[in-house]
Amino acid sequence: MASPEVSEVGSDGLRQSPPEAALGGPAIPKSKMFSRDSIVVGAKAVAGIVGLFVVWQLVVIIFSPPEYLAVGPISAFDELIKRPDYFASNTWVTLQEALAGFALGTALGILCGAVLHYSPTVRSFLYPALIAIDTIPKVALAPLFIVWFGFGFESKAFVAMAIAFFPLVINTYDGLSSVPHELQELARINKASPWKKMTKIDFIYAIPSIFSGAKISISLAVGGAVVGEFIAGSKGLGYVILLANSQVDLPSMFAAFIVLAAIALALFFIVDFAGRKLVPWKNHAK
Amino acid sequence: MNNEYAISVNNVGKTYRSRDGQDNTVLKGLDFHVKPGQFVSIVGQSGSGKTTLLKTISGLQEPTEGEILVKGRPIRDGIEDIAMVFQSPVLLPWRNNIDNVLLPLEFRGTRTDESRRYAQELLEMVGLGGKAKHYSYELSGGMQQRVAICRALVSRPELLLMDEPFGALDAMTRDSMNFEIQRIWQTTGCSVLFVTHSISEAVWLGDRVVVVGDRPGRIVADIAIDFPRPRGKEHRFSTAFSDYTTEIESHIGVVTGIS
Repeated sequence: MASPEVSEVGSDGLRQSPPEAALGGPAIPKSKMFSRDSIVVGAKAVAGIVGLFVVWQLVVIIFSPPEYLAVGPISAFDELIKRPDYFASNTWVTLQEALAGFALGTALGILCGAVLHYSPTVRSFLYPALIAIDTIPKVALAPLFIVWFGFGFESKAFVAMAIAFFPLVINTYDGLSSVPHELQELARINKASPWKKMTKIDFIYAIPSIFSGAKISISLAVGGAVVGEFIAGSKGLGYVILLANSQVDLPSMFAAFIVLAAIALALFFIVDFAGRKLVPWKNHAK
Repeated sequence: MNNEYAISVNNVGKTYRSRDGQDNTVLKGLDFHVKPGQFVSIVGQSGSGKTTLLKTISGLQEPTEGEILVKGRPIRDGIEDIAMVFQSPVLLPWRNNIDNVLLPLEFRGTRTDESRRYAQELLEMVGLGGKAKHYSYELSGGMQQRVAICRALVSRPELLLMDEPFGALDAMTRDSMNFEIQRIWQTTGCSVLFVTHSISEAVWLGDRVVVVGDRPGRIVADIAIDFPRPRGKEHRFSTAFSDYTTEIESHIGVVTGIS
């Protein structure tokens, strides 16, 4: 998240984040990381995932499909343990591509959403065009990016960026547009400069919406990186899947699925957590 | 120009042109003057252009006819001493109450070390001195609106515009807020333009009640309310009070079931 507006706004939000300190009392339920409630929620989530693995393993045991059709999670984890370096290095490649794409997509998306909001002229020209471009499956752009940016890291990062970009444009624009008109009028009556209005009201108001977009984008970015690797990759989890495919090596393939799901989940929760930290007031909304 | 009025509304009209080229006249030939320190209630039915009138006086919208002078100056010159209270308090949820009160000064770039003390004084005046560091979600609707009033007063306005400020509150809270706003107004000495749907609220609070008729919005009556200050509950149940409300109702053309 390289956008200057957001970091500005973010630090402002953080400075004012601990309401209980100012209140001098424990009366306010704070969004703690490890409160009893969140432990229960976390336990349920873990139980759900473990349950999924158990069901998966049971299905494989009961129907015992041949190993070239499906394998259980035990075989997949076994594969992970057998070749930890192989999976770690390829995961790292995919993670870097996804994160670079997400960062770029977020920065551009916020910028674009802000321009759409603040300039009606640009909006009337660009908004329909953006929606039109958004209907193109981003996967279909991957071959083009490979033509433009080569077979390396950049083309995958750009595919991830192309996918991560749109949710942020739409959500930034929506967030900025949802500022109550009374606040706009308050700013105008008090002759606030555009910059003050942006930093003291608009962008802080838009943070929850921007984070909703970022939560969608982060998972999409991982998928985008993998798609890029499918088309032209010699490393990364997408490449691991393709290679396993050609060798009918299903344990590796399922192992890659598990790792992909795990990093997407982890990234999602990191974004979600950051959002909660930056938007403490949202937890108290009526 | 006449400088003795806090506001002069001179023959003001406002016409919107809709997309199909039809003219929609919202205000027509409005002409009234407010003396410094006067409390003027404005009543009228929904859609009679009361809010448009307030927005025009605040400079948020421009009149298509006539002119509005604040202390003898056209509003376009940049009037420093107008403040507005909206129907909804719209406090910023990420700021505590005192920081919400200080927001207009930050907008204006006139916040000083002294400002905080003044904001605290204002909160104390509305009975929320102990809630300065609290957040809006911890307050009732009435308390939030009191914070919003402090936010309007922090820039020491000479003219306070209130657009149905108690419209969203329950009847009991509304009554106590009426007492509150009378007290605040008497303490600060600013002029108030108070838009409301409630005729009894308008009569009880106002030195004058301006009745705005609808389609297009125009002044149909301007009635001086002759009660001493500070007004108490007893005025609300006097014969004179119901005479005022009956007269105003007849101007608005409200059919009331209960008197």
